Amino acid sequence: MIDGLLILLFFQFLGEILIRLTGIPLPASVVGMVLLLVALLLNTPFTQRVAPAAGALIKHISLLIFPLGVGIVLQWHRYEDYALALAVAVVIGTILSMLLVTLMLKKLMGKPGDPHEH
Amino acid sequence: MSTELDNLAALAHTPLFGILLTLASYRFALWVYGKSNSLPVFHPFLVASIPVIIVLPLVGVNYEEYRDQTRLIAFLLGPATVALAWPLYRQLHAVRSVLTPIVVATLIGAAISAAIAVGLAWWLGAPAEVVGSLAPKSITTPIAVEVVKSTGGYVSLAAGAVAITGIVGALTAGPIFRLLKVNDQRIKGFALGLVAHAIGTARAFEYGEKAGAFAGLALGLCGLVTAMALPWIWPWVAQWLGQ
Repeated sequence: MIDGLLILLFFQFLGEILIRLTGIPLPASVVGMVLLLVALLLNTPFTQRVAPAAGALIKHISLLIFPLGVGIVLQWHRYEDYALALAVAVVIGTILSMLLVTLMLKKLMGKPGDPHEH
Repeated sequence: MSTELDNLAALAHTPLFGILLTLASYRFALWVYGKSNSLPVFHPFLVASIPVIIVLPLVGVNYEEYRDQTRLIAFLLGPATVALAWPLYRQLHAVRSVLTPIVVATLIGAAISAAIAVGLAWWLGAPAEVVGSLAPKSITTPIAVEVVKSTGGYVSLAAGAVAITGIVGALTAGPIFRLLKVNDQRIKGFALGLVAHAIGTARAFEYGEKAGAFAGLALGLCGLVTAMALPWIWPWVAQWLGQ
């Protein structure tokens, strides 16, 4: 668990260094994620030890997120004028995306039992 | 007498109170979610918010103060985002043979989801900050709340839009797959992960191990692609929408 946390914070820190040096407009944690992914794919020693800490954080991601979400209700005055636009964009938009993405995947990934299937 | 009561009331303004309330609400939400057999409408994100929304106004803590109290929890979002590399690595391993169509599908799918949300909100007259909050709505929340800073959106709104997107996606996937006659586990999983991120992925595992793996992969790739592209593309999109 400690090894995993150490690895996660270390890669986040690397991400932070990289964006400060290059000025790229990406979140440090996303850069850290890419760096860790590359390190894992290159079989860098010890990186596999990230598993327990990574698993625990991802399992309880809702705990980390929902305190941000309560702001919608508690600061509703900010959003109430656009309630219709929000509802349509989020609900209808999601249904439309789901339809279009599924159609696109059917085209791209073909029928079940094609040569790619294993 | 009244000074003792004042002392007690001041407790509500400590990080201990905020974090305890947050953890207790989350624990309650996990219990409800388990009791409901993981029904998407009872997702912990929604249920855990209810006690917090009720209690904070009662004890006179506003949202800014609550965010300050729970800074420790918010800090963990950083390492949690880095942690997404782990499941992504595991899934990439499993589907190496179909990697090219998957990457192409991710690029197109991520663009479709973002464009539809942004387009609809803009068309209905939402201001730039609201439109910007919706751009990352199909990607996993820890990445979305980071990316939304680059589109000038509201973190709260982005977090909520992402959660509702996940719930709507998970609920409507079944009827949509029946309508489009989709039987391929890979397509079901990939569509769920791409549009409805983690909540969709949980739903995909109900179709089976293979659908779940493809959903997890789509979630990771879609988040990655959107996070890498949006901060570069957004200034250009914003300028174009502003005209």
